[in-house]
Amino acid sequence: MELTRNITLGVYLPGETFIHRLDPRLKIMAAGLLITLLLFIKSYQPYGIFLLFITAVILAAGIPVKYILIGLKPMLPVLILMWIFQLLLYSKPGAETIISWWIFSATDAGLHMGNLITMRVLFLFTVTTILTLTTSIVSLTDGLEILLKPLQKVGIPTQELVMTMIIALRFVLILAEELDKIIKAQMARGVAFDRGNFIQKTKKLFPVFLPLFINAFRRAEELIVAMEARSYTGGKGRTKMKTLHMGRADLRAGLVTLTFSALIVYLIVTIKPLL
Amino acid sequence: MPIEVSGLCHSYKKGTPFENKVLHDLSLKIDDGEFVGIIGPTQSGKTTLAQHFNALIIPQKGRVIVNGCDTADRQADLVSLRHQVGYVFQNPDYQLFAPTVGEDIAFGPRNQKLNNHEIEKRVSEAMKQVGLDRDYFYKRDIFALSGGQKRRAAIAGVLACKPQILILDDITAGLDPQGREDILTVVRKLHHEEQITIIFISNSMDEVAGLAGKIVVLDQGQIFIEGLTREVFARADELQAIGLELPEVMDVARKLANKGYRLPTVVLNLEEALDAIASALQEGQVAD
Repeated sequence: MELTRNITLGVYLPGETFIHRLDPRLKIMAAGLLITLLLFIKSYQPYGIFLLFITAVILAAGIPVKYILIGLKPMLPVLILMWIFQLLLYSKPGAETIISWWIFSATDAGLHMGNLITMRVLFLFTVTTILTLTTSIVSLTDGLEILLKPLQKVGIPTQELVMTMIIALRFVLILAEELDKIIKAQMARGVAFDRGNFIQKTKKLFPVFLPLFINAFRRAEELIVAMEARSYTGGKGRTKMKTLHMGRADLRAGLVTLTFSALIVYLIVTIKPLL
Repeated sequence: MPIEVSGLCHSYKKGTPFENKVLHDLSLKIDDGEFVGIIGPTQSGKTTLAQHFNALIIPQKGRVIVNGCDTADRQADLVSLRHQVGYVFQNPDYQLFAPTVGEDIAFGPRNQKLNNHEIEKRVSEAMKQVGLDRDYFYKRDIFALSGGQKRRAAIAGVLACKPQILILDDITAGLDPQGREDILTVVRKLHHEEQITIIFISNSMDEVAGLAGKIVVLDQGQIFIEGLTREVFARADELQAIGLELPEVMDVARKLANKGYRLPTVVLNLEEALDAIASALQEGQVAD
């Protein structure tokens, strides 16, 4: 058992491909656009185009496809459960029943709903993962800060917000590593996490989550002190060490993304939605 | 009931771009009643190896047999194995969770489904073994303890399971000299009085030289040197070549020997050093 192995979201996979070098603002906007599109897809064909596009990006960025799949693995049980629920519980007038057994019955509408929702979650996760895999934490921060800057006009502390988000992202891996150690420390004292009934199993989580929370708070406090010791006072008046420039490659990548998006939009509009 | 490791390999994050090969085809045997020190530079695989001993890590390749139980065997009772082989982590914060010291130490025995009377007995014994005064500490808040006391509570929590083999993973790191000495005294007593097999991972050569009967030196996931403590430290140059330091007393003795004093090249503890230096001075033989 090794928890951190399956965590790909928030991990940066250093590389020298042109995807890595693209302006973070462009990558964030492209990811945002794709995620927004996902919310409107209600048939299978646009997902085909979507899959084509992100597979191309994954290959261009030199990310092993296997690594993306490893990251999806922990979500599998939840996705399967979700799919079953949609299949059995969703229906709409005029839907055809495909299977019925005892008190359960599944309609074609439920099947489509289950498939489409599952794909939506998978793609959402993959798009975000690709973004963090190819963008270093510093670039991500810089990009987000600039993109959110207009919100400062209405009094939203964007720099602080971004900082918090980035720290949260970093902590995913740190906490997973810590969880790994805590589970081992308690297993060493004979906890059998997989034995007992539901209540007994739930009770066994206390010795794991208590130290995890306490350590998380301690870590947060240490981080605050470390930041203050280096005179961090929030976003006001902070300048950047690196300035971002959009270049030709960014323009081209942007155009390609837009073309694919337009194609997806065209399919969304022309194909009769299944839901 | 020895520990037998053969052909053990392990990689972290296997199959990902971050794959990190930690152990390569490692074989090792540890007998009952031994006090084995495991040393090696950082990233040499010390902890990974030790976590195989109580099945916290299951072999990816190779075999680990502990007390006759193959840890890779799906039928093996790993929970009972982990009670036989205790593991104390470097950071007690990963282990301590109950509101009071007494309750935390009772956690292991409670998992063994012992009756309350037996649990109480185990807790009292364990607290005595690590030198925590029962009346004072039993109802103490765990987070009010000092670093050294936390370590001792953590060790007690593992001892309460009555292990026959005890793995101590760098348990003196970050302690002040007094706290360090207290812990080492506890460890020494456990080995001598309770005859517990001890596997002692440490970055301090002084500690290992002073305690261990046998030493395993790891480097890059393989055994670099293995042997009796004196034999291992006799190969000082090789140890230094992989970035390990020598015990301080030995370092001093070697420096004196370079100046022409007649001193043995291997000195493991302060007493030995004192004797050797005294007799060298008595002989009064200084070259040139």
